[in-house]
Amino acid sequence: MERISTDKPTRSRAISIFTDIHFWVPAAVLLGGLFLLRFIH
Amino acid sequence: MPADSASTSPTQFQDPARHRRLQLLGILCGFTAGAWLGAAEAPTKLVSIGISPIVISFIMVIGVFLARWSLPALVLGTSSVRADVRRAPHLIIWALLAGCLWAVANTLTIFAIRDIGLSIAFPLWNSNSLLGIFWGFLFFNELRQAGWRRWAGVLGGALVMCVGATVLAIASASQGPSAHSLNGVWAALGAGVLWGTMYIPYRKAYLTGMNPLSFVTFFTFGELGMMTALAFGYIGVSPLWNVLVQARGIIFWLMLGGFIWVIGDLFQQYAAKYVGISRGIPLSNTNQLWGLLWGIFVFGELHGKSHTTYMEVIGGSLLMMLGVGAIALSSATGKEQQHWKEAAQREGERYGVAADYVAARFEGRQAAGETLPSRSGLDWLLVAAASAVLLAFAAMARVPQFSFRWGPALALTAALLLLLFLCGRKLWRTTRFH
Repeated sequence: MERISTDKPTRSRAISIFTDIHFWVPAAVLLGGLFLLRFIH
Repeated sequence: MPADSASTSPTQFQDPARHRRLQLLGILCGFTAGAWLGAAEAPTKLVSIGISPIVISFIMVIGVFLARWSLPALVLGTSSVRADVRRAPHLIIWALLAGCLWAVANTLTIFAIRDIGLSIAFPLWNSNSLLGIFWGFLFFNELRQAGWRRWAGVLGGALVMCVGATVLAIASASQGPSAHSLNGVWAALGAGVLWGTMYIPYRKAYLTGMNPLSFVTFFTFGELGMMTALAFGYIGVSPLWNVLVQARGIIFWLMLGGFIWVIGDLFQQYAAKYVGISRGIPLSNTNQLWGLLWGIFVFGELHGKSHTTYMEVIGGSLLMMLGVGAIALSSATGKEQQHWKEAAQREGERYGVAADYVAARFEGRQAAGETLPSRSGLDWLLVAAASAVLLAFAAMARVPQFSFRWGPALALTAALLLLLFLCGRKLWRTTRFH
């Protein structure tokens, strides 16, 4: 039987994601890219 | 606390010999990625200009979507993808984010080429490798305690490659600046920033242990979703449909370009996993060199050009090879690897991913207790459906009148297949595609 050890609660995982700078840097760059696309189109 | 996190530590069981094998594998993957990403440009050369950049990008992304589901299903099976996602479900967010970044960047590059030509646009977005080195150092401990020689090799190699790329782009440019040149510069710079930042999710996923084949299957939902939103938003559903119907004769070529691109990108993902983004990105940026080989030898693009142009091509190519050599010879040492492992451990602890899984995948192995990947009927159905869609568009495809040399095309195709075979076999033997 395959062992799967990820038992972190969903809420805790969401907090980990939204307090992670690795999430916010790409998200901010994506937003900037969308604004740029709108500007040049 | 994750169930297995106390049992083993990623810092405990690294085999130096295996490390060297994984580093060499990553470098080979980077070279192979460059060859296939460069070849992806060939089918798009058959497409005449006159279609909106957003439509071109949209059609390519459909081809990419087909490949990103069918290839992982064929290689490992979707059961492996599901098992990976159950272990690190948080990475779906980063896969979607990376896919969105790719789609916007790809669209910006098409605007950039249209507005300022390839010669100015390419060096600007090629700066993504320098940004990748910065993110790798800042967030994932790459090049920490690497010593000045490795710093010089990686940073110097990336800079030399940028200069070589500039020379090649000037030599191969066929288009002058348009009235929107400033917009084009912003578009190219923006694409470089987006692509350079896209490697943050890549590295995060692979340090945590996710298989590249699993990551790309979710990445592609971000790509297709973002590209569909852009196409609907900027063009509209009905006008987009009309353009697609009118362009049905060329859809296959763009989709084929997307499909070939995915094969290159898969190797790029393995390069990012095994040599890090600071070395993996510059190595796969050799795609420009391969694109130029196709352009010169197969499509006769420089036919009748001046002696100076040929000298620029030779000089630019030599500079790129010099940069690649410098990076390839600057693989991570034991001290730097220790910092990588600490970054991997940090990710595992933050998201509750089992330490034995993180450690095993760090070494390109399966964790103890993992079931062996296997293909089911669903996988064969996915492969058959993707093949059927491609064949249907191939039947509708129009072959444009084009200067095409079969001899060099066959030679380059043979080189691609040889690299695919050698790198694929090495990946299989060393990591079983983990």
